[in-house]
Amino acid sequence: MKRMCIPIALLAAIAGLLSAPGARADAVDDLLARYKSQGATSFSAAAGEEFWDRPVVDAKSGEPRKCSLCHTTDLRRKGKHATTGKVIEPLAPSVNPKRLTDVRDMEKWLTRNCKWTLGRECTPQEKGDVLVMIKGR
Amino acid sequence: MPEPPVASSPRSAAPAAGRRQPARVGDSVRIWDLPTRLFHWLLVVAFAAQWLTQDDARLLDFHVFAGYAIGVLLLFRIAWGFVGTRHARFASFAYGPRRGLQHLQALLAGRHERHLGHNPAGSWSIFGLLALALATVVTGVANLGGAKQLGPLAGWIGYARGDLFGLAHKYLAWSMLVLVALHVAGVVLTSRAERENLALSMVLGTKRTFGASGGVPAAAIVAFAMLLVLAAGAWAYLGGYAESRPEHPYLPFTMAPLAQNDAWQKECAGCHLDYHPSILPARSWEVLLSGQHEHFGEDLALDDDTLRVLRDYALARPAEKHATPLAWKIDSTTPPASAPLRVTETAYWKRRHAELGAADWVRVRKFACDGCHLDAKAGTFLPGAIRVGLSGPAVGKDK
Repeated sequence: MKRMCIPIALLAAIAGLLSAPGARADAVDDLLARYKSQGATSFSAAAGEEFWDRPVVDAKSGEPRKCSLCHTTDLRRKGKHATTGKVIEPLAPSVNPKRLTDVRDMEKWLTRNCKWTLGRECTPQEKGDVLVMIKGR
Repeated sequence: MPEPPVASSPRSAAPAAGRRQPARVGDSVRIWDLPTRLFHWLLVVAFAAQWLTQDDARLLDFHVFAGYAIGVLLLFRIAWGFVGTRHARFASFAYGPRRGLQHLQALLAGRHERHLGHNPAGSWSIFGLLALALATVVTGVANLGGAKQLGPLAGWIGYARGDLFGLAHKYLAWSMLVLVALHVAGVVLTSRAERENLALSMVLGTKRTFGASGGVPAAAIVAFAMLLVLAAGAWAYLGGYAESRPEHPYLPFTMAPLAQNDAWQKECAGCHLDYHPSILPARSWEVLLSGQHEHFGEDLALDDDTLRVLRDYALARPAEKHATPLAWKIDSTTPPASAPLRVTETAYWKRRHAELGAADWVRVRKFACDGCHLDAKAGTFLPGAIRVGLSGPAVGKDK
């Protein structure tokens, strides 16, 4: 029995690597570490939740924008793109395991959506708080 | 040989010498067999259907089916003109043009010359209608094969030539309509001169004889076979609708699927339909991709690697490659100096959606082509895959 353990563990590791290329469970930890190196302190889901629903008036259109405008406040539900009306799949990893698995993808969306919603990039602290909040959903 | 005319009115009709069958003057005898009558009225129905379904992309498959049906009917009628019953045979009404004109002059001058089958003027409308109908079907199939790259001639005719065939198709159909009007006028005038409803004769098959000949057989079995062929064709062509489900809609027209790209689908479909590159010219994609930081008010924040993949994919398949009928239309109707950033800005799109009003764009947003075009994701935008105001999946479901 004992001799079988090592090959099985190896196979499991290989299968794990093959099954989700580029997608790792600790992708959020990697990003949080990066944000800390950029000056953020400890992250809080409560701060992320407050940030999520805080309206910011858009300079150009004059309309209030916030994360929950498209994603809603219940992250386990589907959202809707404010301009195109396209359905947005749930953000909560508990119902949509594909979320929070790709560092490049997360960075892209955080940059794109912060700029549209706030008119500026988010700070490492804001991004970290939101990630921690989403991860807990 | 055409039968000899009998100059008379029904009242003064006298029995001709050498009568072969003992039909008495004034008896109703069958002159049109069943296949001839069935051909006539099916052609009437199909011709009317063609006017109702013309120029509507949503109904193109019905139009095309009716066109094929007309083609089959014509082939049958031409064969029946050689092997059919007496009055259905071309030889029985093969009059020269001079005889046709003489007949018309006589009819208009009140000296009508009675014929049991087609008279010399009527025969010319028969030959003319058969020829025009055949030419209309042929140009229609050529139009479909060229302009839409569908049907038996797909791949054999270019888009531009296909459009020319479409023009010819239209003029031929109008000419046929004019000849139909003349034919109906001739039937009305002759019916009055003969005091017999000739349109009813084409329904019942009978006409009052004036003695020259007896009746013809009904040939019901041939008519039955004809119906069977048409019903089988209808089932093969339109039967898919019976099994159509919202999640698996029946698409009457299909073409080879266009190349898709994982990165393209992922990046575009994050916010809107992953519009296929073939719907805009290369110059439009250049502006859109190099302007990714100002994408309709959003910074796409795409990394360089992803952007390169998207650019390679899009610039290899822009509208200029004419992968679909839509791509050809967009490329050939967009001025080279303009680079539309949305397909909805193109003149072609506007023309094809002109009948839709503001209320329609509330139900289906302009971003969601797939709200009506069932093959929008595939990028083919074929006629017959449009479900708006017709049964099928709910419009604008992707909201």
